[in-house]
Amino acid sequence: MSDFSIIGKPTAMIDAAEKTTGGGKYTDDLSVPGMLIGKILHSPYPHARIKSIDASRAEKLDGVVAVVIGSDAPNPYGILPVGHDEHALALDKVRYVGDNVACVVALSEAVAEKALELINVEYEVLPAYFDPEESMKAQTDLIHDNKPGNLEKDYHHAFGNPDEGFAEADHVAEARFIANEVTHAAMEPHSTLASFELNPHTGKLGRLTVWSSTQVPYYLQHKLSLVLDMPMAQIRVIKPLVGGGFGGKSEVIPLEIIAAVAARKAQAPVKITYTREEVFWAHRGRPRTIIDLKTGIKNDGSITCVKARVVQDGGGYCSYGVVTILYSGALLGALYDIPNIQYDGYRVLTNKPACGAMRGHGTVNVRFAFESQLDELAATIGMDPAEIRQRNLLKPPCITVNGLRVQSYGLPECIEKTVERSGWKQRKGKLPKGRGLGIACSHYVSGAANSIIRSDMPHSTVNIKIDRDGGVVVYTGASEIGQGSDTMTAQVAAEVLGCSLARVRVIAADTDLTPIDIGSYSSRVTFMAGNATLRAAEDVKKRIAAAAAKKMNCATEDLAFRDDLVFKKGSALPVVKKDQIEEAEVTQAGASVSGRVEGQILRGSLQQKRKEEGPKEWMTFEEAVVAAIDFHGALTGTGSYAPPQEARGGKHKGAGVGPSPAYSYSAQVAEVSVDEDTGEVTVHKVWAAHDCGRALNPVSVEGQIIGSVWMGMGQALTEEMVWKDGMLMNPGMLEYRSPSAVESPEVEPIIVESIDPEGPFGAKECSEGSLAATIPAISNAIYDAVGVRLHECPFTPERVLAAVRAKRKDKALNLTEGVDPTAPARFREHGGALCFNGKGPQRHALDPARREAPATARGTD
Amino acid sequence: MSLPQFRLLRPRSTEEAVSFLAKHAGNIRVLAGGTDLIPSMRQKLFEPEYVLDLRGIAELRGIRPKSDGAAEIGASTTLSAIEKSAYLRRHYPVLTEAAATVASPVLRNMGTIGGNICLDTRCLWYNQSLTWRKGCGFCIKKDGDLCHVAPGGTKCWAAFSGDTPPALLCLNAAIEIAGPNGTRRIPLQEFYTGDGVNYRRLLPNELVTSVFLPAESAGYRGVYRKLRVRGSIDYPLAGVAVVMKRSSGQVTDARIAMTAVNPAPLLVRRAGEMLIGKTVDEALAEAVGDLAARTAKPLTTSALTPEYRREMIRVFTKRAVLAAASN
Repeated sequence: MSDFSIIGKPTAMIDAAEKTTGGGKYTDDLSVPGMLIGKILHSPYPHARIKSIDASRAEKLDGVVAVVIGSDAPNPYGILPVGHDEHALALDKVRYVGDNVACVVALSEAVAEKALELINVEYEVLPAYFDPEESMKAQTDLIHDNKPGNLEKDYHHAFGNPDEGFAEADHVAEARFIANEVTHAAMEPHSTLASFELNPHTGKLGRLTVWSSTQVPYYLQHKLSLVLDMPMAQIRVIKPLVGGGFGGKSEVIPLEIIAAVAARKAQAPVKITYTREEVFWAHRGRPRTIIDLKTGIKNDGSITCVKARVVQDGGGYCSYGVVTILYSGALLGALYDIPNIQYDGYRVLTNKPACGAMRGHGTVNVRFAFESQLDELAATIGMDPAEIRQRNLLKPPCITVNGLRVQSYGLPECIEKTVERSGWKQRKGKLPKGRGLGIACSHYVSGAANSIIRSDMPHSTVNIKIDRDGGVVVYTGASEIGQGSDTMTAQVAAEVLGCSLARVRVIAADTDLTPIDIGSYSSRVTFMAGNATLRAAEDVKKRIAAAAAKKMNCATEDLAFRDDLVFKKGSALPVVKKDQIEEAEVTQAGASVSGRVEGQILRGSLQQKRKEEGPKEWMTFEEAVVAAIDFHGALTGTGSYAPPQEARGGKHKGAGVGPSPAYSYSAQVAEVSVDEDTGEVTVHKVWAAHDCGRALNPVSVEGQIIGSVWMGMGQALTEEMVWKDGMLMNPGMLEYRSPSAVESPEVEPIIVESIDPEGPFGAKECSEGSLAATIPAISNAIYDAVGVRLHECPFTPERVLAAVRAKRKDKALNLTEGVDPTAPARFREHGGALCFNGKGPQRHALDPARREAPATARGTD
Repeated sequence: MSLPQFRLLRPRSTEEAVSFLAKHAGNIRVLAGGTDLIPSMRQKLFEPEYVLDLRGIAELRGIRPKSDGAAEIGASTTLSAIEKSAYLRRHYPVLTEAAATVASPVLRNMGTIGGNICLDTRCLWYNQSLTWRKGCGFCIKKDGDLCHVAPGGTKCWAAFSGDTPPALLCLNAAIEIAGPNGTRRIPLQEFYTGDGVNYRRLLPNELVTSVFLPAESAGYRGVYRKLRVRGSIDYPLAGVAVVMKRSSGQVTDARIAMTAVNPAPLLVRRAGEMLIGKTVDEALAEAVGDLAARTAKPLTTSALTPEYRREMIRVFTKRAVLAAASN
């Protein structure tokens, strides 16, 4: 560790000051002259054909500039090349409550909202599908005409010989698990500002600039070009500060396209910011997943076979669905040594908002099922749950039965450390009644080895420019979304160049300035953009070294770069005091300039010394930079990263999803207590060990582990999107219950460093892999505490109590379904807009649509 | 969601406030802390032309102990002031405990006791945006003529979800109401109607100005138990308040009230009779819990199933009775 001067040390995020003082600018903070506000009209029906849209009254309202509808931009798009099933605004059909129908562009939000009420849309309501297993039976009124049985995609994989695998097993467990739908709930709602420049030659709209809260600026640029029929080169996407993504901004979200289309029609800059309710409708979260899981083990605990049938309730559009359903199967492998795997995955369309990628994409729900079942099997054969996991470890380097290459593998150490720190051996089974310990493991990719768009293009490219001022500017397409991407980039560049962190400035995620990077998703940034940064820095370092070696009369191999100095290895270095370095940092910031040598800034006292000294044993970073510029001309470097061919997976259909150049590993122990009278579960502490290869910034790694545990705990205990016939009952942060600070348990993060052979300085991912272990660790702990095995998450108090009661054979009570005898099976039959016959619902008293003419709606005062 | 336009009225005295109410009756909403009103206005549940801001009226604030041991609390007193009042904690512990469970610390700094007493009833089908309600179809409580929770009925079942009223009911609190013809004082129990729409007996030109805690209620042991999914922020999904006085181990007086499971906070009838003259044990507490659960009528107005919430009234009542009777 001491070999490094920058990495491996807890480092504050380089954008921390802006964020903590409120000075930082997020998309919604931005404003350009003449900017208008867009508001979207959403569908009130889960499934309907649009017969007509009459926006004439809205257009006449004072302050309304334009009303945009589907025919203004009819080109389809979608994040996956196989899933181009979305339009900016609905063309002929709406597919969920909240689907996008029209957009009003107006001078203010209030006027736009008023105008929405004046748009008359005539719908022909169609039968809707809400349950995936029902939806698969559909013959008529398909959600998308080209998807028979409302099946987006199904995959059927068999690796090894599953039948033989089960035949070899001494014990087989089989059960259905359900993980209900959850969403990202990032703090910042989505926001987009789109602005056209005028073409100086034609006077018509020319280049487009889009500022957006996105994890994937380059995909956004690509999809905008498809929908707007513009060359990508005419579109600039800039990502300002982003307040969290978690996958919810990892694809093109409707408002991003709508804002651009609206700006084109209104011929003025347009900003749209979602309300929290709209964020829930845009969704792209983790689908409700039904998992029928069967696992076989031998008496010694070794797993012989796993069979999983997974049905995902994908919502109305493809989104990342094909990838999600593939991840669910592929990542059954690469954690344990499983010789035989059978996987049947079904991604089903339903009339609900589209599901997509969310932290731990595809793996989380299946991991909950698998780790719970493994725990159950351990109990069957009387083996310690930690031991059964140790019994099934991989022996890397290896390639799993489903074609995943595993190199660095810190899982054994993760299990060992959590077991040790939690006092597992001494405490397990000896806690008071109602309190228990549970263990579970998980893993995740460090970036997908195959990008969404199949090509041999590098996944990340980074440019570095160093000028005579000695400042290092790194240009990267990687998107900082709060996870620390910019800080990581600066650290890697500074470490390679041997300069201080303050010298490095990161320009990120601006498609005009920064080279292509496919985005912040699938935990790829540290591994891939980190490697590209490392290579770019080495490229530029090579040039500096060549010039410095010439000046110092030595070979480049004899030079070392560290602490803002370039020196001959083993030479006596000048003692650079800390205040001198700080002084140099001040001059960087543009304060007093203490001295100049050949035009560059040099620390004052050093400058004096340099004159007195004879032949050079060392040079300052600035001197070396100036020498290199004099020698080579401009001083720039570039580096890129593409995953190696060996890591790109097998040849079967769907083999492209799952492979990664490296996998992270996690083991967790949760300590919980269960109130047997109320079913309330309290998580007291979680010990979470995570193998991140090498912790470039330990404090950031710990933050990611704690955040993953906390988010996993939300899905385990409280978070659930509740649906009633296509209406989301809890579209807000009051009723969608992410845990508050009160529920947050103590999390003890344990960093395990397996030093990956291909990661930058050995680093792998650290932001997603830990989440999946939390849910089964808690469920296994509940089992340890009160002896009930929960098959449906979240483990709400009513579900836990129902299970406890069933076990005790207590007073039978149906606690988990509405028991009001008069409760309708389908509430809309009782007067909701969908199937109502008779007296219709009254319009809102102040609904402008009730009023006679738009003139009245304007009001008189 | 934009806030509808309105005119803000900022009276400096109760009389002025009441005169504004009389002048704009039916087209004005009262803002005390605003923690409930502002989100509701964004959802277009209320679009009044005028908003009456009570925060500039000094006489509506403050906790005033009386020489006989009673207390008067101004309606604009914040919940955090009540939570932190040493006087109330000593004499009326059930109230400070209930106040301390409301929402989150930040919201308690804004929210007031008067606001908590007058809190609008809540329902999953009601506390939603205009767009949502239009998609679903309007309900009796707002703009519609039917109930999604109990279809076929003409009654609104939106649940009263204030935390302090059950505690106040147990303390036999009274409230003072100012109107154009002066003030009147009524027992809090008579304030609520049990109907989700017109949930309180308050004329459009009237204002709740203060809460009286009688001297006879001082010194009761008290416990408030609240069911919620999160330990902060959440409204109660069920709540039980218990006060009790004992002498040499035997209960001499006791009252139990509940919230969030009916359109009004309710005193549990006959709970006192069951307890008075007896020594509290598991079986007695259990029986009182059963009685309370029978009084509750939770419906699908909020998260967690109605049957579960009724069960929790039983469990929480039992626990609260045992806690109040323990030393």
